[in-house]
Amino acid sequence: MSEKKYFTRMGDGSIVYMTAEEIWEDMRAGMDDAVDRGKIPPLSEEELQKIFDIVTMPGGVVGVNPIDAVVTTSDSGSDKIPTKCGIPISRDTTAMIHERVLGCDSVDIGNPDYNYKTAKGIAKREAGILKLALDKTTLPLYYGAMPNLGFYTKPDGPVDNWAELLPQGKIKEALAAQEEAVEHSVNDILFVAKQTYEVGADAIELDTSGAAGDADFLAALKACEKITQKYPEMPVIIGMAGEFVLGMHGKLEYDGQRLAGLYPHKQVKLAEKAGASIFGAVVNTNCSETFPWNIARVCTFMKATVEASNIPVHADVGMGVCAIPMCENVPADVVTRADKCLIEICRLDGL
Amino acid sequence: MTREEALKLAFDSVVECDEDMARKALAAGDELGIAPLELLTEGFGAGIKHLGDLFGRGEIFLPELIFSTEIMQLAASAIEEKLGSANTSAKGKMVIGTVEGDVHDIGKGIVAALVKSNGIEVYDLGREVPADVFIEKVKETGAGFVGSSALLTSTMTVQKEIEKKLQEAGLRDQVKTLIGGAPVTKRWADRIGADCYCEDASDTVDYILAQLGN
Amino acid sequence: MGGVRTTGDMVMRLQLSKKMRIDEAKRYVADKLGLTLEEICDVVTMSEVREERGFGLGHQEPCTESTMGMEAKFRIAEALDIRINSVERFKEHAGIK
Repeated sequence: MSEKKYFTRMGDGSIVYMTAEEIWEDMRAGMDDAVDRGKIPPLSEEELQKIFDIVTMPGGVVGVNPIDAVVTTSDSGSDKIPTKCGIPISRDTTAMIHERVLGCDSVDIGNPDYNYKTAKGIAKREAGILKLALDKTTLPLYYGAMPNLGFYTKPDGPVDNWAELLPQGKIKEALAAQEEAVEHSVNDILFVAKQTYEVGADAIELDTSGAAGDADFLAALKACEKITQKYPEMPVIIGMAGEFVLGMHGKLEYDGQRLAGLYPHKQVKLAEKAGASIFGAVVNTNCSETFPWNIARVCTFMKATVEASNIPVHADVGMGVCAIPMCENVPADVVTRADKCLIEICRLDGL
Repeated sequence: MTREEALKLAFDSVVECDEDMARKALAAGDELGIAPLELLTEGFGAGIKHLGDLFGRGEIFLPELIFSTEIMQLAASAIEEKLGSANTSAKGKMVIGTVEGDVHDIGKGIVAALVKSNGIEVYDLGREVPADVFIEKVKETGAGFVGSSALLTSTMTVQKEIEKKLQEAGLRDQVKTLIGGAPVTKRWADRIGADCYCEDASDTVDYILAQLGN
Repeated sequence: MGGVRTTGDMVMRLQLSKKMRIDEAKRYVADKLGLTLEEICDVVTMSEVREERGFGLGHQEPCTESTMGMEAKFRIAEALDIRINSVERFKEHAGIK
């Protein structure tokens, strides 16, 4: 009689069937990878057993007890319906849909060109849309975009492109370009923060902080610090990009801590120091590995992050991160299992 | 000094960015009669691969990697001189770029630097590169590898276009196509007929070297 | 948590304004509203509570006259003893602050 196999998926969404032994092997391997890279404690046997039980649970959708439900934040949430689904409705309407139809706990107003450099140029218009939505909605509503330091490089921006300078061996020039871009980015973020604060934004989100490397993360931290000082009534949400800060500069520090190479459990401490209210943590999904491998790895990192943090931690459970497959239509079977693991094992504050 | 010690010296010279050490390793290779290509791939090249892996784990950073690639290039140039020009083409050529409509080039830049440091001639087309430009460059250079990077789901489709245009130009059988970028997966590579999905810069180098070895 | 169907929006506000972790935020909301943890997570209970106390709903029928949007946020701010930026700015712009 052949051994029982369980339905699951690869990190790219492909369906696979695995035996219990294979699932356990992958879970341990994923966990060990996180322990090795992050220098963090492993999960307990009990926690691994819980992950196994969730991965192998029958049903297309799994859930948690209502009393254990957590809250949700989003990134470019109000833009998804018009942009991704091609339904041409205004962003204040999509905010209402998120509130009244989808039951979201919060939502952001974001521009389709989702970065602060663009948003700065149209900040008052963005604030106008936000104000319309704030009048109509009850749920917390904030403005979100990415620092995305890469947009400040020529020809799109004023500084030299360090991604071209570095391979040419022009290290000094590349580092100086990144440092200059940080200042431009902080100014733009602060300008947008002012406009959105003045119309009543419940928060501002600095999404995918670190996407362009350590200088990008520094821009987010510096901007957060300035926003919380200037507008104490407007909380800041800092969301991560990749699972560690890419060292494009290598020497940048915040509060005496070098930024390059930091994993989520270290990044959250700096976000806290900068004054952030919520930290959106990310662990990359490895498309060549299975869901059991990925989710065990994610839980190991997330647990360490939640334990290290004094502020709420929301796991970013979107396409390609936190064990969610890299595909446009994410399958509910994997998403709900990932959510359940993150809530019950890692004690996340939100998703 | 033994063969193993000479290879270790070459490895260490790259890891520690030490030009003197690199020159000593080259001299040791000469004295011991180690085949130049062996010294390049198993000594210096192994060092760069190790650093590429460390970079992928966030344990070293890009400027350090770049310094090491300069040591690698010093070694590669010295070895190419020894071998003479007849053998330089054996190392291969790659055309690489970020696809049209996409301005994200950090990952692509890292890949280009690492591939170049392994002695492969790299033609970096920059960012926002239309599919036609990839094909024209392949025709112009005779490159055997075409690498494209896309960071957005909306720009990934250009990678499919590159495959189609290579077919139309009658070049598809002459090149190996490599694709990468955040939303790109092996599943996407299989769907569009790309030869290799590269998760990171190390994957790219490994694939190219394996192909050249074959 | 279901947002305005339960108290997800309120719990979220405590995370934002007071940086409370999830359990603390839920307890705070429950205490302020005089409800149990189970009740603040229950859709049926909270639909009635929200309608009665004007905390805003996700549905308009059959209670069109119920509070929603800015008017609901005024009441939430008072009930939870927090400052909501949109409420404060509304007061300023309306000349009532």
